[in-house]
Amino acid sequence: MPKISDHLDKKVNAYIDNLFSGVGPTQQLYDLKEELATNIKEKIADYIARGMDEEQAYKEAIISMGDLSGLVDDMRKLGQDAARQTVYSTMAARISTAGIVAGSLLILFGIFTALMLYFMSEDNLSVLGNGVFVIAGSALLTYSVLTRETSRKYAMNKIRAGLYALSVGVILFSFFTSAASWFATGEMYVSVASLMVFFLAGFGLLLYLVLTESDRRKI
Amino acid sequence: MNNTISTDLIRGHTDAIILNVLRQGDSYGYEIYKKIIKLSGNQYELKEATLYTAFRRLEKDGYLVSYWGDETQGGRRKYYRITEEGRKNYEESKQAWNFAKVVLDKLIQGGLENAKD
Repeated sequence: MPKISDHLDKKVNAYIDNLFSGVGPTQQLYDLKEELATNIKEKIADYIARGMDEEQAYKEAIISMGDLSGLVDDMRKLGQDAARQTVYSTMAARISTAGIVAGSLLILFGIFTALMLYFMSEDNLSVLGNGVFVIAGSALLTYSVLTRETSRKYAMNKIRAGLYALSVGVILFSFFTSAASWFATGEMYVSVASLMVFFLAGFGLLLYLVLTESDRRKI
Repeated sequence: MNNTISTDLIRGHTDAIILNVLRQGDSYGYEIYKKIIKLSGNQYELKEATLYTAFRRLEKDGYLVSYWGDETQGGRRKYYRITEEGRKNYEESKQAWNFAKVVLDKLIQGGLENAKD
């Protein structure tokens, strides 16, 4: 490849940097700038070989490129999309992390208070009351884990993750009501009856979600 | 290049022109530009700005793939290679053009007295 002077080389690079100034950085932009620079430099070298002086060769080469504003616009759009993508994914990752932490803490809080109350009194109902924390925590944890994007899996869509969280919550709630009604009445049949209603609803929803699952693996 | 082809006239054909160059061998931006001037018999210059925009579009459509050359002096060249899809698209464009040029010639120059029903 023919060589041009360092001065001209720098001038071409500066021209291209300036042309794309303020455009969000992407791999495509980086590649396009290198592609344009190489080709313009080769053209300048051709002009010089044909007897033009450096300055004139540079000017002619730049002018003869034509209107590059369309390419600049394309790159600007790509840059904006890339910026939005990173902002969005870090936001989503933060929300998911907060949800996992909060969900786990809620579950632990429920278990610890239940233990504490169990050793404090014999009142089974008040011990059981802490089950609501475990239920809420489990639902939140389910949602947060499913909406998390990892290096191997894409995040699940929010509505679907919400339905999973709901089904987990309803299933756990069915155990909760079952235990509560057993402690309250002492009758096993009442307990099974109240278990059935919510468990069937939650399990049905869960089964439907699992069976209609799509592959979230990357590549 | 005194006689120019209007941008309106050439616009629909830039892709086919580029594919015609690349079906005859891999090439890079400035070389493709020069080959197009040569193909026209020094009658027509396709602006490089138009070329680079077309490369991006053709690559996105799957008609071209690109790869970097291994030049050590100066910058690296980005080469383009036509794909099977691209060859197919070129053949279709060629057929469409062969049909269109005959009809257009009749439409623009033909006289009604010797036109067949």
